[in-house]
Amino acid sequence: MAYHSFLLEPISCHAWNKDRTQIALCPNNHEVHIYRKDGAKWSKVHELKEHNGQVTGIDWAPESNRLVTCGTDRNAYVWTLKGNVWKPTLVILRINRAARCVKWSPKENKFAVGSGSRLISICYFEQENDWWVCKHIKKPIRSTVLSLDWHPNNVLLAAGSCDFKCRIFSAYIKEVEERPSPTPWGSKMPFGELMFESSSSCGWVHSICFSASGARVAWVSHDSTLCLADANKKMAVASLCTETLPLLAVTFITENSLVAAGHDCCPMLFTYEENQGALTFGGKLDVPKQSSQRGLTARERFQNLDKKASSDTANATLDTLHKNSIRHISVLKGGKANCSQFCTTGMDGGMSIWDVKSLESALKDLKIK
Amino acid sequence: DPRRTGDALRAFHTALRSSPLHAKSQAAKEQAQGTMLKVLTSFKSSEIEQAVNSLDRNGVDLLMKYIYKGFEKPTENSSAILLQWHEKALAVGGLGSIVRVLTARKTV
Repeated sequence: MAYHSFLLEPISCHAWNKDRTQIALCPNNHEVHIYRKDGAKWSKVHELKEHNGQVTGIDWAPESNRLVTCGTDRNAYVWTLKGNVWKPTLVILRINRAARCVKWSPKENKFAVGSGSRLISICYFEQENDWWVCKHIKKPIRSTVLSLDWHPNNVLLAAGSCDFKCRIFSAYIKEVEERPSPTPWGSKMPFGELMFESSSSCGWVHSICFSASGARVAWVSHDSTLCLADANKKMAVASLCTETLPLLAVTFITENSLVAAGHDCCPMLFTYEENQGALTFGGKLDVPKQSSQRGLTARERFQNLDKKASSDTANATLDTLHKNSIRHISVLKGGKANCSQFCTTGMDGGMSIWDVKSLESALKDLKIK
Repeated sequence: DPRRTGDALRAFHTALRSSPLHAKSQAAKEQAQGTMLKVLTSFKSSEIEQAVNSLDRNGVDLLMKYIYKGFEKPTENSSAILLQWHEKALAVGGLGSIVRVLTARKTV
């Protein structure tokens, strides 16, 4: 596993370019910094300064190489590389609260922004006026939209919200695309149509993800649960009450396997058993370093008693790679159908790249289906 | 004699099954809490682990809710016995079961 400490502050969000040589991240302020891989080192190559508030979401379109960022200043910018400079174009989202997450659609002709205004802004480029316009999806969202993910058909959009629900909407924009063909989530998809809504869990939905086929959607909530809805089973929801602290990010790595991470600072594997319609915990993916075991001297024992009111030898520092909560996971290689490498960033300002094959050989009981 | 293991375990499961999660009446909830506390204190320390292991995931979450409810209004010896139950329930339910006590919308 490769771990790189970028900052001493949390990484708010990140996005990779198509060939994974550059990473754009927000260093917990109003800016976006782009780093490029130089052998084993990372060098900062760009600083994007336009937002007036913390940047809460970044997405990098692989084909068109455009960046989209959104922030607490209630704005979004589409950035285009002109020569060696990233030029921003303001997108009016028409929201009166902070933007919280942004995602390009698979065809990169639209992007969606979730916000504290309790709605989703679907933005597309209007050729005649040469600017980005947006349409709103409002009903029946009752609180901040924290996470978004697009279905591969470029029309359906999953949204996780602070009103404890996961929903799938149609974000069909007739100006930029053909009418979509039926999916297991439904056949009629006018703009704003609610295709699926989960029954209330008891926690804010931090992260949401469609499987590669789009037939399944998974989400993690603040009540330490992981849920999955399967459209091929009449949208039946399987849920797992985990033994961990709440998870903040989730992604599919195969059609049946998920990796999620959060306040326990390490990624974990979960498996969906289609026949039983059940989710199971597959194990922690962080192999702890073997610290040398040695006895404590009398002096150290006394110091422990003095500082921590305990004289036991248990290590009080974290064994995991990340030393603070992991906030985001991204798939680097293989896509969500057959992921061979994924990346995590967190509140410790670090970024880690995880290799699935290495994990499988290092953790003998790991079974990725 | 409710201190015989079999009866205590049966009382335990019955008390959990008849939880007034959906009851709107505060009196009904308080009565259930009182009953549960009596059942929990009737266990010998050595019997607690077995009782916790007889529960499924939802049962452990529910037990954890009752434990914290019991902590809220301590009586003479209740906290001591509840801490023993807490240790065993935590070993099975993990921190997630405590998180779900904090985030629960329907309380016991």
